Amino acid sequence: MKKALIIPLAVALVILLAFATMNAYRVPSADVSFVEEEDRPATVATVEYEVSGLKCRGMARTFARQIQDLPGAVSFIAYTRTHTAIVEYDPAVTDPDAIREAFERPIVHEGKSDEVFKMVSVKPE
Amino acid sequence: MKVLRTLVQVLFLGGVVALLIRGLAGNTPNTCGTYCPFGGLVALYPLVRYKTYACALTELNVALLVSVLVLTIVSKKSFCAWVCPLGTLQEWLGKLGRKVFRGRFRLPGGVDRVLMNLRYVVLIAIPVLTFTVWKFDLGFRAYDPFYILFTWGGHETAAFSFYIVIGVLAAALFLPFFWCRYLCPMGAAMDPLSRAGALRVRRNSHICTDCGACDEACPHAIPVSRVDEVTARNCTNCLDCIEECPVEGALELSWFGK
Repeated sequence: MKKALIIPLAVALVILLAFATMNAYRVPSADVSFVEEEDRPATVATVEYEVSGLKCRGMARTFARQIQDLPGAVSFIAYTRTHTAIVEYDPAVTDPDAIREAFERPIVHEGKSDEVFKMVSVKPE
Repeated sequence: MKVLRTLVQVLFLGGVVALLIRGLAGNTPNTCGTYCPFGGLVALYPLVRYKTYACALTELNVALLVSVLVLTIVSKKSFCAWVCPLGTLQEWLGKLGRKVFRGRFRLPGGVDRVLMNLRYVVLIAIPVLTFTVWKFDLGFRAYDPFYILFTWGGHETAAFSFYIVIGVLAAALFLPFFWCRYLCPMGAAMDPLSRAGALRVRRNSHICTDCGACDEACPHAIPVSRVDEVTARNCTNCLDCIEECPVEGALELSWFGK
């Protein structure tokens, strides 16, 4: 029955394999640009937010809508596995706090109560 | 080996229960769906076609799908007997049912074979409905006992969802592995690879006494005593047949039956 030990060993190995290789399949759930390529500002800064409510493609798109009209917002990329949103912005016009405030505005769903995104972390702080 | 398998099963079942408790307490945004390999299968179409993920699916679902398929090539459907928490519940309920009802109920062969093909219908229907009727939303979660049970009525589920869970678990008391045998789409996806699975049970016919203890022990009703090597698609390498065999060496695990 020693050969049977191969089974739990194989189970452990393939799970490790999954976690080790998952980034090979990493693509964003949302990738939105708020400005045309020719209108991109010369200097662009990046801020990364970890958001508890960013759990699916629908919420990622809602999240993007929260900042699409914010002056200085350039682009938005969301990864739902890590619940992260990466925002490019024009530092001459806006800053991470203003973007965060825009994100944290209550979202009104028709017939449902307001929802508020909860920020877990912001990088760089 | 039975003890080791039970420990591995408890580990994975405990993991999803812990995730459920953390989720209900609001301590994690992840659900059992985050770690579901079948999600990887549903994710493939939008991933290839649109370079994005549908709904709450992520790269982890795809990586786990690939890993489970690799495991199936190595060791048949070991995922079902060693890892899947719903498989574990079905197995335990089947054993309970066997004790309570003092026997195992089986559907007649023809009916059983026809119903087993339902899994392929489910396997095809879920992606098709996801990308048409449900418009890239994971609408099948309302019907998925794994998701309903281990999120305790998560997103998309409704009151009727719990009736599905109750029905599936109750059926497992009478019909062993009801969900796995007749409806599980993940099991259906593994079937072709499982047939070719390298690590399989071999019967040494010159030692075997044809007592049939292995046939009786097999939870998936595979006629082990009538084959030289078990290539059946439903074999999960649970090793119950080897455990119950009264003749040392008559049944053993082998690479490609050699």
